[in-house]
Amino acid sequence: MSSSSLMDARADGASAPRGTAPQAPVDVAAAHGRPHPWRWVLSAVLLLVAAGLAVFFAGNPNFQWDVVAEYLFYPTVLKGLAVSVALAVVAMVIGTALGTVLALAQMAEFAPARWASKAFVGVFRSIPPLVQLIFWFNLGFLLPKIELGLPFGPAFASWNTTDLITPLTAAIIGLSLHEAAYMAEIIRSGLTSVTSGQHDAAKAAGFTPAQTFFGIVAPQAMRVILPPFGNQFIATVKGTSLVSVIAMSDLLFSVQAIADRTYQVVPMLIVACLWYLVVVTVLTYFQRILERRYGRGYDAAPAKRAGIPFSPRKKAAK
Amino acid sequence: MTTVHTPEPILQVHRLTKTFAGFQALNGVDFSVTEGEVVVVIGPSGSGKSTLVRCVHQLETIDGGSIHLDGELLGYEHHRSGVRPLAPRAVAAQRRRIGMVFQQFNLFPHWTILENVVRPHRMSHGVGAAEAEQRARLLLRQVGLEHKADAHPRELSGGQQQRVAIARALAPAPRIMLFDEPTSALDPELVDEVLAVLRDVARSGVTMVVVTHEMEFARQMGDRVVFMDAGRVVEQGTADEIFNHPKSDRLKAFLSRFRAQGSRPGDTAPAAPDAAASAPTEPTAADRMQPAAARAGRRSA
Repeated sequence: MSSSSLMDARADGASAPRGTAPQAPVDVAAAHGRPHPWRWVLSAVLLLVAAGLAVFFAGNPNFQWDVVAEYLFYPTVLKGLAVSVALAVVAMVIGTALGTVLALAQMAEFAPARWASKAFVGVFRSIPPLVQLIFWFNLGFLLPKIELGLPFGPAFASWNTTDLITPLTAAIIGLSLHEAAYMAEIIRSGLTSVTSGQHDAAKAAGFTPAQTFFGIVAPQAMRVILPPFGNQFIATVKGTSLVSVIAMSDLLFSVQAIADRTYQVVPMLIVACLWYLVVVTVLTYFQRILERRYGRGYDAAPAKRAGIPFSPRKKAAK
Repeated sequence: MTTVHTPEPILQVHRLTKTFAGFQALNGVDFSVTEGEVVVVIGPSGSGKSTLVRCVHQLETIDGGSIHLDGELLGYEHHRSGVRPLAPRAVAAQRRRIGMVFQQFNLFPHWTILENVVRPHRMSHGVGAAEAEQRARLLLRQVGLEHKADAHPRELSGGQQQRVAIARALAPAPRIMLFDEPTSALDPELVDEVLAVLRDVARSGVTMVVVTHEMEFARQMGDRVVFMDAGRVVEQGTADEIFNHPKSDRLKAFLSRFRAQGSRPGDTAPAAPDAAASAPTEPTAADRMQPAAARAGRRSA
């Protein structure tokens, strides 16, 4: 609304009120909504698109829904799904643990710790995960033997790199290091979001540095960390599909193997898509629960707590 | 090195210095507190009074001088090479003997009110769950907030949060309580409820150092009033000495500023331009002229 119309309205009200009597009491409780004609237009467009999609999915025989249904719960597919999910979980666990260490190192007083952490994050955030996976898988060309021992000193044990680096270990190393670099940034932003007043209060309470971190800083940082952590987890689940290039039998590799045999490429890709959709939907659900769990004390309506699974039981107040 | 008074001081601050990025916050502060004493620290903003209590609690590293609690050097240890900083765990152990209340309350927002009082007590002092909860509920009752035990800090007013913060600090029965401008962040109408709790704590015999701008409180409750300016203790004495017979020009100027702000009906003295020269002779002149002051007529009993 322009300022001139505001002026008009005031002038109207002051001099010559229209319609109702000047002193008539108004109760806006009886107000009805304004018309939104464009919403009707948009609704019509959305309906048309939805109908078009429905016809496309149902009417196009190339989808071969019967084949999709046949292979959706096929043992090889389910095994591939389990491998993908397990790989994502392992990469996230290692990545989060390493990322926490990196984040703490970046906040450390000791400068060399900060430099080392920044260098790690800089390198592993720059290299595409696909390139990393191929690199780790081919580590044997660079380093034929892996030895455990003192630097420049005697070795206690040694292995052939090709024995150690299987598709599985290459996948875990590549994905974990990639996740660690990203998680370091996410965790650091969470930790720095906790105010200096909280650090003061924790110190004043006589907490040790470890108690301060686990009792005060980390739980409050979770609120900031969880939304990007959830995104990162989802990205990792989808990122596991990269490992199919190093012949790791994940979900994508499994459906491709079947497609290579049966030449039913599209329905097998649909099978993979459906499973990724299911996993990400489940993850999103748990993300919401966790976000609410760690949002306690910040929500406007604490009564909602009762409805949150995994929230600690309330102690009976005597 | 330590000058022995009678009775033996709990807290002894000796020639304390502290610099923040070129700003000399503390410039050789000598200060001591004896058992059961209520010491009120007053002074203009930036005089170093908050820094003093933060240094005592080792929330700031000190640049020089020393702080002793019950004769024990705080934050540092004697070593064959001389004196060196204590390990963080040892610092934490020393802090457990000191309670602190902050201007901004600093309750832990992810814990309930009860947890805020119980958990620090349990985690830092190894007290059993039942004992800690019993003590917490007693303290919450004393500050009038037992009914809020299951609420979260965000659901409380500033005054209520500060009362919880006081209960939290009192739970382990510290040797000494430090209050860093406990009412400065509060809306004027909430100041009184916190001051009432402070009076209760003072009357219960707890050793206290209170940094405040509440002159009426200082006058009523201070066994000793310490006036700081420019990082030094300029003058200290009984409330009567400080408020009715100030000696230094800086204290006179400081007190007259409170008088000049005054708008109390009974206050006839006009704010003279050279207010620094005219020493306030009436106790009321030193009152903080806030709505709080008008209601602060409670007897100190």
